[in-house]
Amino acid sequence: MGAQAWTWTAVAVVVVVLLAWTAWTLVRLRRLERRVTRARAALESQLRRRAGLADELAREHPAALGALRARALAEAAAEARSTPRGDREAAENALGRELRDLPADLPGVPASVQADLAGTSTRVALARRFYNDAVRDTQALRSRRLPRVLRLHAGRPVPRFFDIDDRLEELTASSAGSGSGGRP
Amino acid sequence: MRIGLVCPYRWDVPGGVQYHVRDLAETLRGMGHHVEVLTPAEHEESLTDPWLTFAGRTVPVPYNGSMAGVQFGPVSAARVRRWLRDGHFDVVHVHEPAAPSVALLVCIIATGPIVATYHAATTRSKVLAAFGPVVRPWLEKISGRIAVSDFARRVQVEHLGGDAVIIPNGVHVGAFADGPRLPAVPGDAPTIGFLGRYDEPRKGLPTLLGAMRTVVRRHPDARLLVAGRGDAGQLDRLVGEELRPHVVLLGEVSEADKAAFLRSVDIYCAPNLLGESFGVVLIEAMSAGAPTVASDLDAFARVLDGGAAGVLVPRGDAAALGEALSDLLADPGRRAELSARGAEVARSYDWPVLARRILAVYETVVPPGGGGVTALEDDQVPGVPPTGVAPRSSRWRGNAR
Repeated sequence: MGAQAWTWTAVAVVVVVLLAWTAWTLVRLRRLERRVTRARAALESQLRRRAGLADELAREHPAALGALRARALAEAAAEARSTPRGDREAAENALGRELRDLPADLPGVPASVQADLAGTSTRVALARRFYNDAVRDTQALRSRRLPRVLRLHAGRPVPRFFDIDDRLEELTASSAGSGSGGRP
Repeated sequence: MRIGLVCPYRWDVPGGVQYHVRDLAETLRGMGHHVEVLTPAEHEESLTDPWLTFAGRTVPVPYNGSMAGVQFGPVSAARVRRWLRDGHFDVVHVHEPAAPSVALLVCIIATGPIVATYHAATTRSKVLAAFGPVVRPWLEKISGRIAVSDFARRVQVEHLGGDAVIIPNGVHVGAFADGPRLPAVPGDAPTIGFLGRYDEPRKGLPTLLGAMRTVVRRHPDARLLVAGRGDAGQLDRLVGEELRPHVVLLGEVSEADKAAFLRSVDIYCAPNLLGESFGVVLIEAMSAGAPTVASDLDAFARVLDGGAAGVLVPRGDAAALGEALSDLLADPGRRAELSARGAEVARSYDWPVLARRILAVYETVVPPGGGGVTALEDDQVPGVPPTGVAPRSSRWRGNAR
């Protein structure tokens, strides 16, 4: 084979490898996109649930909360519900603050409502963490050189982190524990 | 909820991950969920329970300071696929998926909500660092990541590029709280307990022996009970003439005897010098109602609630440890207080409590209306290990759709 044939072979190999890599990366990007969508849906539903519970608490148990606090909570819940997706963080933060400031025991409020509220707050934190994790994975892949140069998924918006203060340290730094301990 | 758990290590070999999976499965079943476990084993016939599915034998390779079971190939892939299809799981929960094991295989083959728990807490993980980028495309499919400790989370963040929520290992508090005492333990003399490999210097027994010299001056009938494996002759030399009547070597104890041992001692002491990411023995001691004195390692301080649930002393400081032990032996009121506070802390590590937290993770990643986990079509899954030398064409053939 002459030098030219070698060159063509080399070019062909490079093209095939590049195509294979592109196909594989597109699979990953699509998978990540679905994961982000799922995680976002889970986060939205937990946030809606939290706002709904807060609203219910404010409307049905104003006596337990005190009129002032009940009004503030209702307003925060309404604000969180009505704000469009784009800049929800501030509204959700305000609602989270109101909920955290509630006294530990609310006389007259059924235990089930309080447990629901606590559970939903935990789930908001979980859902937010999993969503941000999916966003981080997507951004990491999108920002690599070849996907940028080849403009893979370039037309689609890069997902944004959702940042609210949800006392996440409870999930990341509190209870310690065990670890390597028993590996076989 | 239908839950599929995947254990990457051989079921018939004792180990922390296996116990974790077993206890989690039992607890979730007790709560009325349908749980199945896919696991490799040395002998298939050792998997007697109907909810256990044999994933094949493993080829042991060194991984992350221990032996991981490598498992790949068409037969294992077929077993995984069948398990996923027959199980109709709402969520699949894999353990330690970064190692090239059946857990990773499940990540490659399954589509749908996957939760993963990371146990490894060591940072001497050259294999992990090398494998991280290679397995990353499949770990991207995991919707919810859990780490059992801060250390495990750090490994996850640094080597695998992700984040995780922390849900610690559990303890069956009830099994430690109630039961008989150890008959070998004298009832009237004050006793201090030590558990672990006593010939490993990092477990800190020399410090504790140093402290005992202080203790026996104030409590002449005090006893130190040493349970665990090690070189008895070496221990004897370490103890020396003067302390010999005060040290009782119990040797290796069974799981049931360990609980009885912890119930019997007046103080449980963990004088470890370093490297303990594992606070579970403290939780077990607290479950058994033993007041604890531990060195101020990060993991211990966190388990002991910053010193509220047990006494923390500077690590390696025999004088301070001796002082703390003597003071505590002389103060039954403080011991009762620590015992009560410790039992309260231990309850937050009880399996039902932790299983509910893990269920919250499942419910977060499972989309409303379900959808569940399925297996990819056969021709979409490569039966080859994802190593760095795998030909690109096979990856393409395997995964492009």
